[in-house]
Amino acid sequence: MFQAVVRSRTPVVRFLSPRAGVLLETVRGRKSRTDPKAKSKAGRIKTPSPVDPVEMVVLKERFTEYNLIMRALRMEFKEEMLRKRYEEETGSLAEERAKQESEEHRSLMAWNDAENLRLRKIRELRVQKEAEAAEQRTREEALLRQQEFERYIQEKEMEILQLQEEAKNFITLENLDERIEEALDNPKNYNFAVNKAGKTEKRTMLQ
Amino acid sequence: MVHLSSLLLRKYHGGHVAIRLALGGATNRPFYRIVAAYNKRSRDGKYIEQLGSYDPLPNIYNEKLVSFNFDRIKYWMGCGAHPTKPVAKLLGLAGFFPLHPMTITEAERRIKSEAKTQKEEEEDEEEKQAEQ
Repeated sequence: MFQAVVRSRTPVVRFLSPRAGVLLETVRGRKSRTDPKAKSKAGRIKTPSPVDPVEMVVLKERFTEYNLIMRALRMEFKEEMLRKRYEEETGSLAEERAKQESEEHRSLMAWNDAENLRLRKIRELRVQKEAEAAEQRTREEALLRQQEFERYIQEKEMEILQLQEEAKNFITLENLDERIEEALDNPKNYNFAVNKAGKTEKRTMLQ
Repeated sequence: MVHLSSLLLRKYHGGHVAIRLALGGATNRPFYRIVAAYNKRSRDGKYIEQLGSYDPLPNIYNEKLVSFNFDRIKYWMGCGAHPTKPVAKLLGLAGFFPLHPMTITEAERRIKSEAKTQKEEEEDEEEKQAEQ
């Protein structure tokens, strides 16, 4: 009796299984199966509501008529729906529509093919141009590389010549004595002074 | 989780389509939508199609406005939908269905009770006049 029960109309099962289409109807009362009847309802005798027999007979007649008419109406509607569906699928209008659709489809496909052709031509031109440009670039690169190589070789030759020239002034075992005497005979003075104005003065006190 | 389609769910649960009134609106201001929905769905929950509306409160010209989409109602009735009692009554009053027996009987009952109260009032007046 004092259990916590959801009183609102929103079913509890919704939170447990939201995907299920079926939702349990909620509890209507507060009492469980084992709770006893209330003291105020101890001597209550439930009687069915009074029914007027004449009215009931008339009502029953009316209901049978009503149900008959409803059944007939339902069949009519079903027939109409089926006829409509049949006509839609296999009617005269449907054939024309199908023809129009197929023609449209054909024209669209033709247009699509034309577009593809045009784009293919453009693409081929572009690809050609790109290939030519690539070839040009490779050729130029080859040229550059060759030039670089030649320049390199020339530089190396220059260096070799310079070395050869310098080799004439090298100090060898044979020149050693002569060179030493030469150096001792000509002392070189590398000292110099600098003025605040920036002028250099090479004259010094050395002999 | 396998996501069953609505048709399979229907087959599994064995329900049928119902044309019924779904309540909306605000406090002390109801408003019904005439709706085709599966039988087991909640009253205001997901429906298949809305087929009209019904405003139970009369407007300034003392009219209660009802709307129906007869074409789609015919379709759903053809597909095997069951209308509920109030929807059947409304459609009967509209003329689309035959008049519901309960509308006729309730009208008769009302006329009878009004006649009875009128007779009682007349008898009371006669008594008062007799006393005077």
